[in-house]
Amino acid sequence: MERIIVEGVSKKFKIGFKKNRSALARFVSLFSGIEPKKIIWALKEVSFSVSSEEIVGIVGKNGSGKSTLLRIIAGIYDVDSGKVSTNGKIVSLINLSMGLKEKLMMEDNIYIFCSLLGLSIKEIKKRFNSIVELSELGNFVSTKIYQFSEGMKQRLAFSIAIHCDPDILLLDEVFEVGDREFKVKSVNKIKEFTKNGTTVLLVSHGLGIVERYCDRVIWLDEGRIVRIGDTKEILNEYQRY
Amino acid sequence: MDKIKSTLELSLALARAQFKERNEGSYLGILWYLLGPFLMFLLLLLVFSDRVGTNIPRYPLYLLLGIVMFNFFQKATSESTKAISINRWIIKSINFPRESLISSIVLATLFSHIFEIVLFIVFALFFKVSPAGLIFYPLILIFFCIFVYGASLILATLNVYFVDLDNIWTFVSRLVWLGTPIFYTIGGQTRLFYVSLFNPMYYFITITRDIIVYTRIPEIWMIIGAVIYSLLFLFIGLLIFNKLKIKFAELI
Repeated sequence: MERIIVEGVSKKFKIGFKKNRSALARFVSLFSGIEPKKIIWALKEVSFSVSSEEIVGIVGKNGSGKSTLLRIIAGIYDVDSGKVSTNGKIVSLINLSMGLKEKLMMEDNIYIFCSLLGLSIKEIKKRFNSIVELSELGNFVSTKIYQFSEGMKQRLAFSIAIHCDPDILLLDEVFEVGDREFKVKSVNKIKEFTKNGTTVLLVSHGLGIVERYCDRVIWLDEGRIVRIGDTKEILNEYQRY
Repeated sequence: MDKIKSTLELSLALARAQFKERNEGSYLGILWYLLGPFLMFLLLLLVFSDRVGTNIPRYPLYLLLGIVMFNFFQKATSESTKAISINRWIIKSINFPRESLISSIVLATLFSHIFEIVLFIVFALFFKVSPAGLIFYPLILIFFCIFVYGASLILATLNVYFVDLDNIWTFVSRLVWLGTPIFYTIGGQTRLFYVSLFNPMYYFITITRDIIVYTRIPEIWMIIGAVIYSLLFLFIGLLIFNKLKIKFAELI
C-alpha cells in the first residue's frame, strides 16, 4: 500500500533580512510596498512515493530541505505547488524535544504530548508505564524537564511518539544525541512497527544508521532530489560527493 | 463530531498543563488568582467609594463584579496573544488542531474565573445581598466565553504577523479597562454612552450587574448586543485564524 505520495512539490520561503520586524516597520513597508526579502526555494519539484513496511532515509547537507519535506508531509507547512497525499495516522518528531515544557515534570509532558498526538487521556493512562519503560527514565518521572540532558529529552520524545499508533513515522535527527544502547533499542522498535505496516521516513546525518536500517535513501540537495534508490549505492555516491 | 470531541479533550489536557505550569513552584499558588483582583478591588474601593461610588448603589459589589469579569477578558486575551510564539516548537513539530492552544487558555482562565466568582459570592453574603441571580450567570458566561475566545483568536493570529502586538495589547487592553464602566458609571454622559456601544465588555458587564447585583431584568437590546458581539467576534476570529493557521509554522 502506498503510504505517502509526493508529486511535484515545490516550497518557497520568503526570507526577510530582518525577520522579526516591529509593527511600525511593517506598517511603513506595508504602505510603501517595499519589503526587504528574497525568495528561497526550499524544495523544488520533489516527487517520490513510499509504501508501507518501508524505512526510507533522507540525507543531505544542512539546509537542503530535509526538515521542510517532513513538515510538508506532516501537513505543518502548505505547498506552493504540487500535491501530497498520505494514508494513515502521521506521527512527526521534528525537533519535538525543544517543545517539551521545561517547567513541568516528565509525567505532565507525557500527557501533553500524547494528547497533541491524538491519544485520549484514557489511552495515555494505559500506555504510560510502557512509555516510561522504553525511555528508561523511570527514575525521573517527577523530575522537571529543564533538568534533563538533551539525550534524555530526545529519548522521552521518541518514546512518546512511538506509543501514539503511527502509520507514518517522521523522524528528524532523532538518533544523533542518544547513546548506542538506546539507538539499537529504538531502531529495533521501529523495525517491529514496519513489520506491521508502518512507514518510516528518517532524516539523519548518521550514515551508519541509514546504511544499516533503511530500505531506500533519498538524497536531497538545495531542494531537489539528487538521487533516490538503493541504500548502498546512493550512500557510496553521497560520501564521495 | 469526533473531531470536535478530540479537540475539546486536547484543549482540556492543555488547559490542565497550563494551570500546573502557572502554579509550579509558587508558594501561594492558586491564592494568587484571588489576590490580584482582590487587591485591585480594595485599592479602587478605597479611592473611589467616597467619590464616584456614592451615586452607585451597592458599590462594592458593582466594582468587584466589574473587576472580576474584565480580569477574565484581559488574562485570556493577553495570554492568547503570546500563545503561538511560545509554542512555536510544538507547532513546528506536530500537526495538531491549532485552535486548541487558544481554547485551552480560555478554559484555564475560566477555571480561575470560577474562583473569583466564589470570592464574589462571599462578598455578596457579607454585604447581605442575595447572590441568587448567579443561577443565570452560566448562560451569560457561555456567550462571554465565546466572545473572549473570538477576540483571543484574532489577537493570536495578528501577533504572528505583527510581532509587537503583544506590547501594544498590554496598553490597549488597559485603555479598554479605563473605557469600560468598571469603577464608575456612565450615568447621563451621552458621549461616553455612544462610545461604550462599541465596547462589547460594556454589554457583558452591565447585563451581569443587572442580574446579579441588582436582581433585575437587563434591557433586551443589551442582551441582543452581547449575543451579536460574541457571535461576530467568534466568526471573525475563526475566519482569520483558520485562513492563516497553516502559515504559522513558517512565520514563527
